[in-house]
Amino acid sequence: MSLVMSDTSARKKITPRKSRKKRSTFDTTLGRAVLQLLAVAVFFALWELGVHAGYISAFLMGSPSGIFATFYKLVLSGELLSDSWYTLFEAILGFIIGTIFGSLFGLALWYSVFVAKLVEPFIVAINSVPKIALAPIVVLWFGTGLISKVALAVSLTALVALIAAYQAAKDADVDLQSLMISMGADKHQVFWKAVVPSTLPSIIATFRINIGFGLVGAVVGEFISSQRGLGHMIFLASSLYDLNSVWVGLFTLMILGFVLYYVIDIIERTSLPWKQATTSHQVQV
Amino acid sequence: MPPKQVQLTVQNISKSFPGKGGDVNVLDDLSFSINERDFVSIIGPSGCGKTTIFNIIAGLLEPDGGTITYRGKEIESLRGRVGYMMQKDLLFPWRTVMGNVLLGLETRGVDQKEAEEKAREYLKQFGLAGFENAYPKTLSGGMRQRVALIRTLIMDPDILLLDEPFSALDYQTRLYLEGVLKDAVQKFNKTVILVTHDIDEAVALSKRVVVLSGRPARVKVVHEIDIEATSPITARNDVKFSTYFKTLCAELDIQTETTS
Repeated sequence: MSLVMSDTSARKKITPRKSRKKRSTFDTTLGRAVLQLLAVAVFFALWELGVHAGYISAFLMGSPSGIFATFYKLVLSGELLSDSWYTLFEAILGFIIGTIFGSLFGLALWYSVFVAKLVEPFIVAINSVPKIALAPIVVLWFGTGLISKVALAVSLTALVALIAAYQAAKDADVDLQSLMISMGADKHQVFWKAVVPSTLPSIIATFRINIGFGLVGAVVGEFISSQRGLGHMIFLASSLYDLNSVWVGLFTLMILGFVLYYVIDIIERTSLPWKQATTSHQVQV
Repeated sequence: MPPKQVQLTVQNISKSFPGKGGDVNVLDDLSFSINERDFVSIIGPSGCGKTTIFNIIAGLLEPDGGTITYRGKEIESLRGRVGYMMQKDLLFPWRTVMGNVLLGLETRGVDQKEAEEKAREYLKQFGLAGFENAYPKTLSGGMRQRVALIRTLIMDPDILLLDEPFSALDYQTRLYLEGVLKDAVQKFNKTVILVTHDIDEAVALSKRVVVLSGRPARVKVVHEIDIEATSPITARNDVKFSTYFKTLCAELDIQTETTS
């Protein structure tokens, strides 16, 4: 037997073929970063030049130099930081509450096919309402403070998580569940050991979408009625035609979303180590 | 040789599934018995309901009629007391090799430390020491099926139900794992029911071969395989091997010689 095994292992030692396509010098992490920064710089330079040459209206579009000056001013006064924290806090809180409750409810539907079938049309109906349309009522119900923004973020994120979790639980490998039953496992054990782990990739995949929805909920809530936050800042500035402040708010939101996306990315990678073992390189065509 | 004692009897089992044109009778009045420490292969035309029998014995399906008797007592099913192995290794991808091996003991509520110790012993015995923390995706098909075998054996089941466990593997790996299985079964004193479509495998491994007829499945004939061999490879070299092989092929209406 050892003879057979050593024979196969010897055959597996194939020297990796050299990639025929030559990689461009910019196709490295540093090279790509240089190109990306260059693109941003060119964009802002053209914008600034356009404003100076009179092709672009600084009144309607703002200007990079004006944006930067406003940014500097808002950072120094501490307004930008406190507004950012406020919005970020609302978004994250809404995201966490919405995702937890949505996922738990979606998973729980696995327990009873009867209940699941009963509530399915209601879930579809609620999901088909554009949740943003709820914003005015949510503000009426929960006031103009923090809670209404969190509630709005929850309403946006919970259903996404619920539907994803429920679908994933339904799709969980029946054979794995059968195997556990044949071992004598009860329903709870099948749920916790077979169903829940197999839904995790789908649930974590909703994090990426939902963190964005969390920000949407927070900002829209602030648009409608608020004394603080980036949404409030953007709304106020645009009503005063202060385009530079609007851009500062938007770029800050962009940065927040960007950072959150990468945080989720890290969470995804560290929480699903078994997925890492599988991701192979993309096929070169 | 001690007298053979019957361990499991399946009597008059019937099962039908709803189909497009009315119910499909998969099993109809099926009866057979398995002795203590038996190694029985069930062969039959594809789709004759071999897997359904297993699902009924394992308690995954309820039969429409019939009884299962285990060591003299009538029981519903052997749920929790069988080791079920399928063609797919069914390793949990999010669990490491160790985690997969521990699955059954965990559901049984065995002490974690004790279970791990036992698992390490088994892994070492089956040549998988050092792979405790590897994820299934990184293992070869043969290694994965070996992990599945350990997961089955560590539960110390009364009967092993093997549903074409090696059919997805290449021939070399299959021969190797057949040997591993036979050794393990002898060492741990297990009773095995093996469903296979591979006549060659059935003859090389079993003490008895049950041939089923097509749907609805009935026992056509039972063959005692009288080959004393230490391994499935030497069994294939036995003088009687080809006779059994030809007889079984004939039972399954497979033509072994071209007629002119």
